[in-house]
Amino acid sequence: MTLIALQNLTKRYPRGVTALDGLTLDLEPGIIGLVGANGAGKSTLIKILLGLLPPTSGDASVMDLDVRSKGTTIRQFVGYMPEYDCLPPDTSATDFVTHMARMSGLPSTSARERTAEVLRHVGLYEERYRAMGGYSTGMKQRVKLAQALVHGPRLLLLDEPTNGLDPAGRDEMLALVRRTGTEFGIAVIVASHLLGEIERVCDFLVAIDAGRLLRAAPLGAFTERTGVLAVEVEEGETQLADALTARGLQAVADGRTVLLAVSEDAQYDIVRDTVADLALRLVRLEQRRQSLEDLFRDNVPATPAAPAAVGSPPASGPSGGDMPA
Amino acid sequence: MSGMTPPPAGGAPTSARGPGGSIYDLGYQAYIGPRLGRRSAVTALFSQTIRSSFGIGRGGRAKIAPFTLAALAILPAVLAVGFAALAAQAGGSALGDASPIRYATYHSFVSIFIMLFCAAQAPELFGRDQRYGVLPLYFSRVLTRTDYASAKVGGLIAALFLVEVSPYVVLFVGRVLVAPDPITGLSSELPQVPRFVLQAALVAGLLGGLASLIAAWTPRRAYATAAIIAVFIIPPIIVALVGGLTNQDLARAIILFSPGDVLDGTNSAIFGSIPNSPIVASLDLPGWLYVGAAVVEIAAAVGLTIRRYLRIAA
Repeated sequence: MTLIALQNLTKRYPRGVTALDGLTLDLEPGIIGLVGANGAGKSTLIKILLGLLPPTSGDASVMDLDVRSKGTTIRQFVGYMPEYDCLPPDTSATDFVTHMARMSGLPSTSARERTAEVLRHVGLYEERYRAMGGYSTGMKQRVKLAQALVHGPRLLLLDEPTNGLDPAGRDEMLALVRRTGTEFGIAVIVASHLLGEIERVCDFLVAIDAGRLLRAAPLGAFTERTGVLAVEVEEGETQLADALTARGLQAVADGRTVLLAVSEDAQYDIVRDTVADLALRLVRLEQRRQSLEDLFRDNVPATPAAPAAVGSPPASGPSGGDMPA
Repeated sequence: MSGMTPPPAGGAPTSARGPGGSIYDLGYQAYIGPRLGRRSAVTALFSQTIRSSFGIGRGGRAKIAPFTLAALAILPAVLAVGFAALAAQAGGSALGDASPIRYATYHSFVSIFIMLFCAAQAPELFGRDQRYGVLPLYFSRVLTRTDYASAKVGGLIAALFLVEVSPYVVLFVGRVLVAPDPITGLSSELPQVPRFVLQAALVAGLLGGLASLIAAWTPRRAYATAAIIAVFIIPPIIVALVGGLTNQDLARAIILFSPGDVLDGTNSAIFGSIPNSPIVASLDLPGWLYVGAAVVEIAAAVGLTIRRYLRIAA
């Protein structure tokens, strides 16, 4: 069963803006992170999946239902938490979430029961009878999540769920998302531009940039060791890079650090000796994990990582080398 | 925490399996109750709109305006029935056509309150969801945009119809009871029922439709209220000026675009009475023209309101 299937999905807005550009992707159920900078097309993709926006061309289906023709059926089983504020301030959370449950087609008794249950799940207790205008951002985000869950969806689409939250609030929201996905077995798609957050909740990651698919892979593949060693020196990094290259290593200078591909222990000795021979002041030696930020950086780690990947295929799966420069 | 919550009512099986396998094993939090779908959602929104037209479910202060206006609309009917009862006791005639408060004249008592009701409530009903960004939550559920708009417009029109028709009902019940015997009372009053129902429907439809259209286009409450009042108050003045100062032909052409005058025209056509407004009387257009104009304008206002929601970004 495919959760989401995209086939060459393209969305162009009237004023010539291309939000999605030939996206092809199959996703299995799980907790899926959708990362990309602001304007990368995350929200557009979510709205297309909901049937709120028609695609310009290509196909998209959710749970094997086509978004163009089966929008109403899809929406019955999907919960959506929008990025922006969407709560009327003069209504209580209980009344609002109950109303939204009714709008999903739940009978009124079920709507009330589910509302109580879901608000408890997101951690809103006595406050739920007060008007939402007086809520903190954290409470509002919880209500937004609750209304997305109230009708028992099979898929949750969360657009920047930690928007505007302080670090503690972020932690709580992320834990809540994680718990919702794992305990209840609901498939979750979390869109965010904050890679560090996504990393903490997702099993699978989809990175898009300017409407194109950058990469889709299990989270592990994104953060595994890349076989890249970063050597930070106070000065003389070009000197060092040249010397290392002369001794048969793949090295490039990147700011104050030199990045090089390492695959065996002896190479560390070469690095140590080279630094000592050049009498450089060594600040740190760091085994690089590929950080998600690298996805959006221009080819910096790609140069040393690519030959390493060629040299030792099993060590580091697809790395920066796959990415368009 | 949620681990302690009991399973949903009905002894939900914790292994409800979907077609795809264990990912649909939703566990104890699964909602396995009925999903009544789109029609249920539309009905719920329609009745919620009627209730919130009267401020029900929106706190005490929200009820002041709608209930005051509804009470003012009914008051003349209650007074008329009261005086008629007193007169009947004193041996005088029942409230006859001599009374100034009759079915045919009631429109002129009630219309101003209906207009104010529209101006007070429509911006709240239509502007709120736009102002606070609630529309995406509706449109990401089973409702379509057309469903949403129809339920909202329908709810407002239904609420207005209730306000408009209840004084007629008070008059009707009063006249039947005050009559020398209920049988003659019923037989003389029943023919009036379809008339006042039709007039009430046209008033609610036209004023509610126009107010919806304006409010849907103007999320800002104050502007919407002002625009609604302007659309109801200004056109009759222009028509009167044009008719009085220049030529009647031009006035005949534009009077059909003045909702207040159109409804005065339908009222006199339906009850066979003299129009309340002198300009409607002097232009002397056939009654069916007003009824036709009202029906066309209601359809146009509702249609354009729906169109607005089909195009609104959400």
